[in-house]
Amino acid sequence: MVGPKGRNGRAGLLGLVGRTLVALGFAVLAALVVRLRGTGGTPPHRGGWRQLSARDLSEASPEE
Amino acid sequence: MQAVLVGLGAVGGRAARQLLSAHGLTRLTVLSRHPDRAVPTAALLGQPGVVGLQRLTQANFHAALAGADAVLLASPAPGRHWAAAAVAAGVPVVSVSDEPDEARSLLHLGPDAARAGVVVAAGAGMAPGLSCLLASWAVHQLAQAEEVHVASLGTGGPACARRHHAALREAVEERRAGEWVRRPPASGRELVWFPGEVGGADCYRVNRAGPLLLGRAFPELSVVTTRSAASRRDRMTSWLPMLRRPHPEGTVGAVWVEVRGRAGGLAESKVLGSSGRPALVAGLVAATALVWAVRGRLRPGAGGLAELVSQPGAFLAELTELGLPVYEFEGTTPAPTW
Repeated sequence: MVGPKGRNGRAGLLGLVGRTLVALGFAVLAALVVRLRGTGGTPPHRGGWRQLSARDLSEASPEE
Repeated sequence: MQAVLVGLGAVGGRAARQLLSAHGLTRLTVLSRHPDRAVPTAALLGQPGVVGLQRLTQANFHAALAGADAVLLASPAPGRHWAAAAVAAGVPVVSVSDEPDEARSLLHLGPDAARAGVVVAAGAGMAPGLSCLLASWAVHQLAQAEEVHVASLGTGGPACARRHHAALREAVEERRAGEWVRRPPASGRELVWFPGEVGGADCYRVNRAGPLLLGRAFPELSVVTTRSAASRRDRMTSWLPMLRRPHPEGTVGAVWVEVRGRAGGLAESKVLGSSGRPALVAGLVAATALVWAVRGRLRPGAGGLAELVSQPGAFLAELTELGLPVYEFEGTTPAPTW
């Protein structure tokens, strides 16, 4: 049989666990919102960089 | 050729080395606000007969100006005063500052410089500077250019790092639909793919002289923007003093330029880039601009390199021959929101 003191202790512990779970839930929710609203990630792109030679640069300029 | 260099930091030192090794400078007078700190760097540059180090004072500057062919301003302090004295003496000036107010004050010397037939090149570093040349080259490839977007990554020496820190907390002016609009500091995140080993980096609006200089060079452009790579910590702490001492010289740097317009009746875009140590890149660009100014290959008057260089291809070709790579992106990328 659990006395009044034990009941209070268990209730306090359960309250703490509950508050922790609620806080974690809010944190997960906030992280999800940020993650979903954010524009992170790498957009796809095809191709690459080609190094231009001095000749490419000189010849391509219409004013020269 | 004889030159005067104001400021012997990371960029000034690189430009001095370039001028002495590749362009046969016979005399370089280095004027520094802290000559005691500049002694080791000056000693590495060359013989005392060729390189002279003095304190930056009015008297020393005017004495150095007497036999000089050009002046290179590579100091973080305002240089309008020195530039005005050089213009009055008929000596061309090249400045590496990327600060919009500094560029604006140099541009005010335009009428005097044009009358004297000398050049005042503002923002002749990496971005603006190299970015202006890449943009100018790309603009000339299109029948009609409408938008120019510039992004850069990395800083040169400590002064450049401090300036970058400050630029992230300053409101930004960029051109939209032909009008200048004010944007919040460090806003407008975009992922930019830089060439070389740099890769992708998040870039934000920063207060740089690029849009001002490109807007003058190409008044027909409806959109001109400039961004710089920054981390979340950079943005979060931009309103505070720098939390730690900046690095002596940045090792990673890159420039990315996209020009959009029309060619052959179709929408077309050109994406160009370059990469290298920021101080080295800025030093190469500034030294080459100085030599071009002395040789009369820049248009007289004040402006950025996009405005003063009528042959951006030849300028860029010279830079590639000096070891600076220039890349063109070939492929497709998703359209940024800009």
